[in-house]
Formats: sequence, structure tokens, C-alpha cells
Amino acid sequence: MATPIIDASHIIKDYGRVRALHGVSLEVGAGEFVALVGPSGCGKTTLLKILAGFEETSEGRLEIEGKDMRGVPAASRPTRMVFQKLALFPHKTVAQNIGFPLKLQRVGKAEIDRRVVSMLELMHLNLDYLDRFPAQLSGGEQQRVALARALISQPGVLLLDEPMSALDAKLKKSLQTELKKLHRELGTSFVLVTHDLEEAMMLADRICVMRAGRVVQIGTPTDIYYRPANMFVAGFIGETNFLPVDVSGALDGGLAVGSPLVAGEPAVMEAGNVSEFLGEGNKALLIRPESIGFLKGEPGPGHWMLTGVVDEYFLKGSTTQYRIRVAGLEAPVVMDLPGSFELPAEVGQEVRIGFEPARAFLLSE
Amino acid sequence: MMSQHFKNAVVDTALVGSVVLLLMFFYAPILTLVAFSFTSSRVLTFPIDGFSLQWYGELIRKPDFFPAVINSATVAAVSTLFASVLGTAGAIAWIRYQFRFQNLFRVVTFAPLLFPQLLLGVVMLLWFSVLGNWLNFSTGLVTVIIGHVVYITPFALVIVAVQVYGFDETLEDAARDAGASRWEVFREVTFPLLWPGIFSAAIFAFLLSWGNFYVSYSLSGTARTLPVFVYSGIAVGSSPIYPALATLNFVPALLLVGLAEFLRRRALKRQSTALSTS
Amino acid sequence: MKSQSKTWNDPILVAAVAPLAIVMLVFFLIPLAMTILLTFQTTQYYRLQWTWDLKIWTEIFSKPHYWTIMLRTVGMALVCVVISILIAFPTAYALTTRLKTYSAQIQILIIFAFLTDAVLKTFGWILVLDRQGVANWLLSYLGLGPEAMDILFTPTGTMIGMVYNLAVYPMFTIYLSLARIDRDLVLASYDAGASRIRTFFEVTLPLSRPGLYSGAVLVFVLSLGAFLEPKVLGGGTSPLASELIRQSFETRVNWPLGAALTIVLIAIGALTLALAAAFVFRRTPAARRELA
Ligand SMILES: Nc1ncnc2c1ncn2[C@@H]1O[C@H](COP(=O)(O)OP(=O)(O)OP(=O)(O)O)[C@@H](O)[C@H]1O
Ligand SMILES: [Mg+2]
Repeated sequence: MATPIIDASHIIKDYGRVRALHGVSLEVGAGEFVALVGPSGCGKTTLLKILAGFEETSEGRLEIEGKDMRGVPAASRPTRMVFQKLALFPHKTVAQNIGFPLKLQRVGKAEIDRRVVSMLELMHLNLDYLDRFPAQLSGGEQQRVALARALISQPGVLLLDEPMSALDAKLKKSLQTELKKLHRELGTSFVLVTHDLEEAMMLADRICVMRAGRVVQIGTPTDIYYRPANMFVAGFIGETNFLPVDVSGALDGGLAVGSPLVAGEPAVMEAGNVSEFLGEGNKALLIRPESIGFLKGEPGPGHWMLTGVVDEYFLKGSTTQYRIRVAGLEAPVVMDLPGSFELPAEVGQEVRIGFEPARAFLLSE
Repeated sequence: MMSQHFKNAVVDTALVGSVVLLLMFFYAPILTLVAFSFTSSRVLTFPIDGFSLQWYGELIRKPDFFPAVINSATVAAVSTLFASVLGTAGAIAWIRYQFRFQNLFRVVTFAPLLFPQLLLGVVMLLWFSVLGNWLNFSTGLVTVIIGHVVYITPFALVIVAVQVYGFDETLEDAARDAGASRWEVFREVTFPLLWPGIFSAAIFAFLLSWGNFYVSYSLSGTARTLPVFVYSGIAVGSSPIYPALATLNFVPALLLVGLAEFLRRRALKRQSTALSTS
Repeated sequence: MKSQSKTWNDPILVAAVAPLAIVMLVFFLIPLAMTILLTFQTTQYYRLQWTWDLKIWTEIFSKPHYWTIMLRTVGMALVCVVISILIAFPTAYALTTRLKTYSAQIQILIIFAFLTDAVLKTFGWILVLDRQGVANWLLSYLGLGPEAMDILFTPTGTMIGMVYNLAVYPMFTIYLSLARIDRDLVLASYDAGASRIRTFFEVTLPLSRPGLYSGAVLVFVLSLGAFLEPKVLGGGTSPLASELIRQSFETRVNWPLGAALTIVLIAIGALTLALAAAFVFRRTPAARRELA
């Protein structure tokens, strides 16, 4: 990254005796779209508020556009925020809400009007809305007005705190598409907080996964999906299967792994399929639901086989999901098969399932 | 940067200062009364001459204020009872129900709060005098109590209404679901949950009535309450027994307000623990 | 907040509404109507005569003396509104921001002072404002006032007493509307580039309008009826309407006159409020829109 627009290093935030952030470091490049994800209470909002300037850091250093942000109030930072509950001023019209940042910069009235109108056009909002009050708009329209207000002063960084969590699924999809387009058109850096990993994968250039006030992993969506740092990240990203394995040693430039639960030769995991963060503790193979299938006969070379009983299946349209209960595994194994007219197995039926361990991913807890 | 911090510091100081000044303003006459009640002199000039309890002794020797205390206590107790019951019923009707003429009901039950007390007293005095002429009675404690109920109930209603507003009706549904009758729902769920509001309304009502002058002054006839007694006393000439009387008069109010605050805190604590365990 | 629809056949509704409605009808509305009727009667030899004429009203409209006092009353009430709001606002604001952690305790202190017997507090003010009282002692102690101030028994004394007794109302109404403002709105304003002071004028103040207006109305209406303060602290030198009304009842035993003056005062109060409301609605499109 050339010169990051945001450079936060080792940020610690204490609320009284509660430590909300334990030394978080994050860089955001100019024009980059970064998503912050993590379970509730992990410190996403806190980090965003520190970037916006609503909270002071307890320790650590924050630079935005190369300048130290200590003591710089929110108003003077090149960041703008879209609030979770939008925080549109109920006593100001749509036009007054959107134009507010410019009014504060003492921009002339005519210029404000012009830019407000062009913001409305950018957001595909009807020009008739200018004189309405926020309460007279639908949820999706309010969302756009909030975005317009944040973007009108052309901030260097746009901060978004779960801006779409209150919308229904369909509206959410269309706004996500628009947000992505907007990001591409404007070239502004976006930092988006979201609970929804699918949303993060769709929109972001890089994803920062947080847990209990710490960053667990930062990487591109493919990194996070295919090369998660540990079981926490992998589990957060969607339905996955973990098969506990033992590492018996180095072999042919890779790691030899085996499991007492499966029938098959020990497999060799090449460096590319082993987590960089592999530690000492319990290890497991991460197997995505789409890389498991039913076995007709014996497992071929390089394949491992598990036997189990069909617990439940769900027709999902383009795919069919099976959950197979396997003795010795706590959670049922999840498989996504291409949808077909005939069901390959019934509930309660004993089945064999197989996968290629060398294509799975080795990580630790 | 410095100037920003400086500005904030100025604003903060101004804010804290304004609160301190306001409290001083509110307590200036009250603390002055307390100070003067301990004077050893006969004239009320400041600084006071020396410390003595002689005026409290005087009060005990000449207890002609005592009937007024009894009157005030009776009026306050009875009006509080009526104001709390009527106010609670009214608050539920205000917030929980929807019915024809509801807005009219709201206006009429709220209006006395917007009515200057003296005029309220005068208007009622006219009515009672006319009625008294026809039915042959004269104003006294009963009319004072009626006046207080009309004046105080809107306050009680507003306080209870705030509690009703924050009320979660699904709790009542849950009780009904568990098989409770209408009365049992009220006794087991509605009333206990509204109790903090009703209780503060009752305390507020008691103190409003206890300290009320205007309505009592118009309607008390020959039966004097404590404020009316003090008013006619200081109208004639001030004497150090009034500061002593005033100081004694603060004691029940202090106790009641303290009790209310204690109960409020306990209720708050309970609610927050209930929330965290649910 | 969902509410249950009830019809008047429902005994529960009748039980909740009827007692209070009857009390207010019999002891508030009927007396008010009665007062209006009384203005058309006359008195002779201190006895009420049921005559049904406009004598009292012609008397009132022909005597400027009454109108001077009424105008003075309205003037004092308006001044009292302005001072009370100016005093109440910073405190209410501090209680929702800087002093939030102590707001419960401070409110208890204020409520206690408010609920204390008004006569006693007014008497306390005599002791404070007297020539040899606390205020003058304090001033000379601080070396500020070589000459004793004569506040007692002047309109200033009346005003101090009125503000003292009424400033609590706007304090609480403003506090309630400030406390309801979503904190994010303030942050959003900072975020848009506004300073603390600018945010106050752009966001906090406009959103606290409901509390501001209702507090102002309460102070105005209640100060129209101020009686103790002008009598005790003002020394009766410049009487207000309430004193006039009392006199017509007590000294002159002229009920119709007292009733008519009461109605006039109520009418003036209502008229002033209507004018103020019209002014406010013309100024703020938001309020107008809400009504539409
Ligand atoms: N003002 C505060 N005072 C004390 N603790 C706080 C405060 N704000 C946040 N916290 C604590 O800091 C931690 C992180 O909170 P934060 O709001 O950043 O979480 P989050 O990741 O945004 O969660 P969510 O996804 O639920 O919004 C939480 O444990 C929270 O309880
Ligand atoms: Mg959050």
C-alpha cells in the first residue's frame, strides 16, 4: 500500500475499567473499501468512533492523511460518518440535512443548492423530496439521504456503521449494489462495519475480522474465505466443517496429517493449504460444504471417507444441503450438492461421504 | 487546538457554574430561614446575633399553630389519597385506552395545571358560596380538600402517566395467558409495575398539598392550614418563631423526599438486575 | 405503545374515567361557567342580586385603572417567562450533558426546594432581601455595595419571587425534551463539521423547542395569578391582577366584579397564548407541517 489514508497502530481504548480495544492496528488505503466484521460487542463501533473522532484513544497512534489525529475534533477530520440509526435531523428538511456540512463551511447558498441537487441525482432520489422532512421518507430513502449528507463535503473517508441492518433483504441488496457502484465512482475510502459477512465479501476490497477487541485477521475476501487464520474466522464466514486432525510430521515439503475418524492414507498438506498462523493447539481441517460429496464405492487415492447417517436435508433451489451425523464429530457434517430432481439419500439412511484432504485447509483453533 | 480546549473548558465551567448558582438561588430563602431559626435575638437582621434554641422553646410553650398542623396533615392525607387514586385511573385512561371524547377528557383533566392557583381558588370559592347559600353550608376543611384534589390530581396524573407510558403490555398478556383474571392481572402485574410512579405521585401530591397556600387561602374559611396560619402571622409582623416553624416544617418533606429517592434507587437496581438475568 | 380501544359500555372504562371526569366537571367546569354567569349580576349592600345586566362589564370597560393593572400583570408575566427560561435552560442543559451523572441528585434537590411551602419561602426571601438581610450583608462583606440595596417592596422584589417560584417548571420541561434528543444527532452534527456551539444552535436548541414552549406557557399562565409575591415581596406598592381580584371579593364584597376581572384575566392569558402560538407557527414550517 502506497500511503495509507488511515494508519491506526496499537490502539487501546478503555471505558473505565472495561477495555474495549486491546491494541488494534489497521491501515486503509486511499480509495480502498474495508469492511470490519466480528461478533457483537467485539469493538467495531468503538473503532469507528475513534476514527471519526467521537472517542479519544487511551493509547496508540492514529494518523489520517498523514496527520496525527490526537486532539483533532470530529468536525476537523476528513472523515464523515453514516450512523446506524442514520441520525437525520428531524427538524430539518431533506435539503437542509444534506446541505448542512456545506452550510457549516460557509459555502454560498446557490452553490449548496446546486450540490444538494447533484447529490440527490447521484443517490437516485426524487427532486420532489427536497422540502420533505425525514419522517416523510421511507427507510431506504432515508438511508440515501444519510449517505448524501455524509458524502456532500467530499470526505476522504466514509465511515458506515451497519447502515443497512434495519432494512429488509430486498432493499438491502439494491443498496449494497449502489454502495459498491458509488464507491467505484467516487474513489473515496469506505470503512464499513457489518455483521453480515456475505455483505462484507460482496463489497469490500479487504476485510478485517475482529474478536473481543483484537484484530484476528485482515485480508482480501478470498484470503478470508479460503485461507482463514483460524477456526474462529473460518466459522464466522459461513457454514463450514472442521475435522480434527493430528500432524504427524513434515513430509515431502508439506505436513502429514491423519485422523482416527476416517478411512484413508495420511494426507500431505502443502504449504499453500496451511494457515500462516498455525499454532501449537488443536488442529483441524477446514472443509467447505461444496467440497464434500456422497461416495458410491470405495474412496479413490488421495480421498478420505467418513460414514454417517443423514440427519436432515434442505432444498435450497440451486443446491441441496445435507447434514450428516458422523460418530465422533460433535456437529453434523454439512454438504452442499448441486440441486437435482432426484434426492440422492433419505433421512435416516446410512451413507458414505468423501473429500480430498490435500485440497482442504489446515488451521488451528 | 489549545483554543478548542480552552473553549470547552469555558463552556463546562459555565454549565457547572449555572447549576451551582441555580441551587444557591433555590436554597437562599430556605437556608436563611433555617439560620434565623437559631437566632438568639428578637429582631431578624443578619448576621444573626448568636445561637439559641429559644424560638423552638417558644413554639412549644405557645402551640397555637398546632391546630393548623393538624388541619394541614388531615387535608394533605385525604387529598393525597384521592389525587393518587383518581390520577392513576386517569393516567391509565389517558395512555392505555382509546375512547370517544378522550381528547376532551385529556383537556379537562389537564387544565387545572394550567390554571393560576389563585384563580382556581376564587372560581371554586364562588361556586361553593353560591352552593352554600342554597344548601346552607360554609367553606371549611372539606372545601379545601376538594380544592386540593382538583389542583393536585393533574400533577399526580402526569407523573403516573409517565410510568404507564413505559409499561410493557406483553407482561399483562403473559399473566392473562397464565390464567389470571382481569382483577388478578391488575393486582399481580399492572399495579406492582405502576407502583413506583403511583408512589412518587403520592409523595408529590402530599407535599404539594402540605405546602399549598393559594387554594387553601381561598377555600379554608375559618379553618386555617399551616401556610395560611403563617401568612396571616407574617402579614401582621415577622417574629423569629416563623423561621423556627419553617425549619420544623421542612423535616417531614425532607424525610418523604429521601424515602422516595431511596425507593426509586432500589427499584432501578432491581430492574437492571432483572434485565441482565433475563 | 399500543392502546386498547374501549367503548362506553365497558365498565372498566367508566370506572377509570367517570370519577375524575365528575370531579372536574362539578368542581372545575361548572364553577367556571358559574363565574361567567356571575359577571352579569350586581351587588347591593354587599348582597348578590340576580339581575342579569351588563353593568359590571360597562364598569370594567370604562375604568382604565383595571386595564393598567391587567397590562402590568401581563408585562410582569412576560418578563418572568424570559428570565425563567434563561435561568432554566443552562441548568437543564447541564443536567443532560456535563452533569449527567449527578442529574438525579440535583433534581431531587430542586424538587425539594420546589415542594417546600411557598409562604415560608416567600417569607425567607424577606429575610434575604431586607435592608438588614442576607443579600445586603453579603454584598457589603464582599465590598461590592457600600449602599444597602432596596430590593424588598419593589417590583424587582416581586419579580425575584415570581421567578423563584416558577423557574422549576421550564427547567423540567426543557430537561425532558433535551433528554429525549438522540445523542447520535449531536454526533452527526459534529461529524458534519459543526463546533459545539454551532451544534447547540443548529440541533440541540431547535429540538428542545417543545420543552421550551411548554415551559414558557406554564410560567406565563401561572405568573398571571401571582399573588403572594407582589403582596409580600412587592409590598403591595404596584399591585397585580390577583390583588385586584382579591380586593373586589374581600374588601368590596363585589362578587360580580371579581368574577368579571377573573374572566378578563383568563381571556387576556388565552389571547396572549394564541398570539404567541400564531407567531411560533408562522416562524417554523416544521410545526406547521406537523399540524397539517
Ligand atoms: N460508552 C461505553 N462505556 C462502557 N463500555 C462501552 C461503551 N461503549 C462500548 N462499550 C463496551 O465496549 C465493547 C465494544 O463495544 P462496541 O459498541 O464497539 O461493539 P460492536 O462491535 O460495535 O458491537 P455491535 O455489533 O453489537 O454493535 C463492548 O463490550 C461494550 O460493552
Ligand atoms: Mg456497533
